[in-house]
Amino acid sequence: MAGALATVAGAAEDTESNIGSQGDPNSQVQLAPQMGYIHRIYNKAVSGEPPAYGLWVTIGAGVAWAFMATGMNPVLAIVIASALAIFVQGVYAATAYLGRTSSLAKFEQPVYIDLLKSVTSVTMAHAFVAVFTTVSMCYLLNAALGHPFPLPLLGIVWGIALGAAGSATGNPFYGKERQYQSQMFGAGVPISASGNIVRYAEAGQRSSLDNGWFTAKLGGPASGVCFGLIVFLELWRTVLFEEAVGGWGAIIVGVIIILIFMIIDRYIETWARKNYGPYVKAEEASA
Amino acid sequence: MSALGAASGGGEGINPTASIIGIVIIIAALAITAVMAAPALAAVIGVIIGGALIGFGVHFVPVGGAPAAMGQSPGIATGVAMLAAGAGLAGLFGGAWAAANPAFGIAIVIAAGAVGGGLMMAITCLMVNIVYIFGMGIPAASGKVAKDPITGDSQAEYKSQGTEGHGLPFVSYVGGVIGGLLGGAGGTLIYYELLQVYSAMLPAMFNASAEEILPIAVSLAGIFAVGMFLVNAVLAAYNITGTIEGPHDPKFKRFPRAVIGCAVASAVCGLFAVLIVVV
Amino acid sequence: MTVQITASTGGIPHDKLMAAGLVGSVICLYLTYLNSATGTEVFSFFGGLAAVFALVWGTSTIKHLCSYGIGTGVPSAGMIAFGSGVIAMLLATQFNSMYLTPIMAVVFGAIVGGACGFLANNVMRMNIPVMVRSLTEMAIIGAIVLLGLTAVMAGGFGFDALSVKTISIMGILSTTSFGASLLGGCLIAVSFMLGGIALQHPFNACLGPGEKQDRTLTLAAECGFLSMIVVAVISFAFVASFAAIISLVVAIAGWYYTFVKYIEYSKRDAYAWLDAKPILEPKGED
Repeated sequence: MAGALATVAGAAEDTESNIGSQGDPNSQVQLAPQMGYIHRIYNKAVSGEPPAYGLWVTIGAGVAWAFMATGMNPVLAIVIASALAIFVQGVYAATAYLGRTSSLAKFEQPVYIDLLKSVTSVTMAHAFVAVFTTVSMCYLLNAALGHPFPLPLLGIVWGIALGAAGSATGNPFYGKERQYQSQMFGAGVPISASGNIVRYAEAGQRSSLDNGWFTAKLGGPASGVCFGLIVFLELWRTVLFEEAVGGWGAIIVGVIIILIFMIIDRYIETWARKNYGPYVKAEEASA
Repeated sequence: MSALGAASGGGEGINPTASIIGIVIIIAALAITAVMAAPALAAVIGVIIGGALIGFGVHFVPVGGAPAAMGQSPGIATGVAMLAAGAGLAGLFGGAWAAANPAFGIAIVIAAGAVGGGLMMAITCLMVNIVYIFGMGIPAASGKVAKDPITGDSQAEYKSQGTEGHGLPFVSYVGGVIGGLLGGAGGTLIYYELLQVYSAMLPAMFNASAEEILPIAVSLAGIFAVGMFLVNAVLAAYNITGTIEGPHDPKFKRFPRAVIGCAVASAVCGLFAVLIVVV
Repeated sequence: MTVQITASTGGIPHDKLMAAGLVGSVICLYLTYLNSATGTEVFSFFGGLAAVFALVWGTSTIKHLCSYGIGTGVPSAGMIAFGSGVIAMLLATQFNSMYLTPIMAVVFGAIVGGACGFLANNVMRMNIPVMVRSLTEMAIIGAIVLLGLTAVMAGGFGFDALSVKTISIMGILSTTSFGASLLGGCLIAVSFMLGGIALQHPFNACLGPGEKQDRTLTLAAECGFLSMIVVAVISFAFVASFAAIISLVVAIAGWYYTFVKYIEYSKRDAYAWLDAKPILEPKGED
């Protein structure tokens, strides 16, 4: 159950950060006007995703803990707490967009109020899903599985972990594919193309909302699988194997799992080399 | 995280005077602990080692930052400190769970934390490569070495034109996992040592039993561990100044500075953490 | 090709802001002692005001530090500030019986921050002129903000008070619980993250060639009040409802005022304030 919640959380986190353009790819959104490319993308520079998600989840967890301490039903507590966390997130996102864009006035990048209104509410909705699922997962970890950490501390741990995992998996997808869709598929973006992000969409001009369905195709599920696997395997190997082999059982299983993943990674790495082939001949490249 | 700013400092090599001052600070901290809270001396030493492990481990993690997000440089497209924090905290979670079981000794607890962190990195690095290879059609290639030190694969011809490399070549992957292992181990060690100190000293302070006081001990140790983890990770990130491809990157050779620096910072923080139950 | 990290020069000098921030926040922290003087908890909100003072000061510190180019992102500065700050703050709470907690927080923050600054600058060889002083300031700010937000949550900041919570059963008997207390539930984690993000957000969000000091500092105050709203909600679990409501009202009012001011400044500084208009290509192209 916790693993399933985690998968949903991961998917929602990535979609939210792509709709709102947060994290490292956002540096291109910031750069574009300086290179002369005005755009209608939502420049949400609220630090990186790990600390930001650390904050929303911890707020949700802390407020939920407080509500439960006053006797409120856990589900209701988590829902209201997540809503408050999302209010904070929305405010931070809006102030970030206003701040960054106003400071780019020199490059004639306007502030688009309709963007502020439409994108903020969408990113808040996705964030709600991510925060609610993560806080619920933390609650289950503490209440049902008996982890010693209290809810807020679990919130800070998994909030940062969720942000890190989602950011690592989703950022390249958003940065390279979506922002630079006009570049050739199958190669990295050359440095000379910096700032030339895609600004015109399939019809009309692109706004950040268009990133939503795109992310849902691969980036979102990939982040979801990533975070879900992390939580799922971490919990299962502990719960199932903890008592085995005088306590070393879970550790041995963990090491085995790590080695399995390493082998899988090596396999796809060689698969890519074989199937995609080099860009230029080996002698040319090292010349 | 915003992209790099104007030219940063970051000189190379070790600064001998500063390192010696650092070691003096460590000795001073240990001395104060011995005088004021002798039973906690082992704990502070443990905290110092934990901090050093974290600082060392951060250097293994392949981080590419903003350029990596566009397939312009290898590594994971997040900030150094935060990715390391994410992995280390996941490891701390696993380690804390093991620590809650009184039957487990220190070795199992540390190993549990290490595996937790390593597992998170293993999964994350794998997914990163999957996204690059299947989602974007880019093979992994390093920009810093001609051949992957572990597998011997040549790198240069798999690098797309105009970039510094992309994805996670195998040595970077292994580096990431090692970084997660060390970070998880270090964070858990800090947590475990502090938990021992608090569980022993707090009951006397509050005139209560050990079980009753346990939530306070756990939370205090937990938040100290998180705080110290972040301090050590950020200090190590300052040492790296931005991006690093992994253990094969020339910047990796800077790690001795980070180990010294993190050890000193952990000594000071550990001293304060222990004084809390003594003063 | 990298994004420029530029910021405005001029405006109120950093030293003045530091003095105002330090003095203002410590005074506000001491004003929370009125709680124990009057036997109530209604003065808890001064803790939130202390946090606002400290955050405004901290924004200026981060801007000061980053203008020298630290080579990594701005958010990590916030994290190291609070990582070192939490350690200083928790030790400082042990001195509450002598009413020394706020001062000791400053002292301990300075020690830990100074150590980190020295390490970063000399051992890690970052060689940034203002590094040691900036990290020292930031650790102090971290400790003060944590104290302030904790005061709003719990009505005070003594270590013993934060560790124990009296629960009444059937309205008559009462028992003490450690797990239900602020430290037992680790609510410090909430203040930690709130402060960590609030500290680095204003500068990070206003980054760009057109950054203006008054706009950035208003955003800092807004982040402070926003954080205060969250801890005021949490305080319902620890303090009397009446006191919690006062904190909440002060927080919402402060937040609303600073937020509106911030939008005003953004409108003033933006190149254009458009509603549903297409992309304007910059003049001088095509």
